[in-house]
Amino acid sequence: MTSETIPAIELAIPPYPEYLQLVRALVGAAANSSGARSPLGPGRVADLRLVVSEAATNAVEAQGAVGARDRIVVRCQVAEDRVLVEVIDHGPGFDPDAVPDLPDVETPERLRHESGLGVALMERIADEVNVESGSDGTTVRLVIRST
Amino acid sequence: MWRERDKVQFDLHRRDLSPTDGVVGRASGAGVVLTVLGDLDMAGAPALRQAVVAEVSGGTRLLVLDLTAVDFLDSAGLGAMVGGLRRLRAHGGDLMVVCPEPRIRRVFESCDLDRVFVLHPDVGSVISAVAALGEQASL
Repeated sequence: MTSETIPAIELAIPPYPEYLQLVRALVGAAANSSGARSPLGPGRVADLRLVVSEAATNAVEAQGAVGARDRIVVRCQVAEDRVLVEVIDHGPGFDPDAVPDLPDVETPERLRHESGLGVALMERIADEVNVESGSDGTTVRLVIRST
Repeated sequence: MWRERDKVQFDLHRRDLSPTDGVVGRASGAGVVLTVLGDLDMAGAPALRQAVVAEVSGGTRLLVLDLTAVDFLDSAGLGAMVGGLRRLRAHGGDLMVVCPEPRIRRVFESCDLDRVFVLHPDVGSVISAVAALGEQASL
């Protein structure tokens, strides 16, 4: 981590979907912070909000699956050329390489799958996605760059 | 001083398709427009699912989902739409999507779901598409 232009911010939310909007608002505000020259244009801020929402949604789902009430921690750092976000949960963990591919979108089978898009969406939109997962939880690190 | 928040977190407005949408003849009254307001995410998706179930149970076969006023969409919202489309089709119906905002269209495109849902610029475009399908079917 070099040349952060504002200090990292941190938010700890109860593991419920109603708090996802708050996470997006906080991270979006940090990326647009008037105290720092934002490295991201409006389109990339929208991308940032999307990938953060995906990571936080996965965290809420993971903790919901095992009834873990620990708070989910979201950290955000804005640097000159990129925004870094970490989402940390206390769910049961998962193997990101074991997430099955969805059927082709043009087959009828695709309509049977209402979930499973989040990781693929993060990987497609974020510049970097790093997942560390174990039996005590998962940390997802996302980087969105200016270009 | 405390102020009510201005932003809607999530809401759904329902109305029947009407002649002002360009619906004429037999198709009149045969469809419903659900306008989604706010954020269609994990928090909003259950309400959308319930609404689709209620519409299909009530006999709706053409459901138009108007996303013009959606501020945010992610994969949880898309999942509810995929489930809705499956439900409508299983009952011989269809779910059509109005989505003029490039920012929201990009989410569909990022998941290749713009190949599953035709994204119409307005309700009138949906009506034209349905009418064209009806003509094809009657040929």
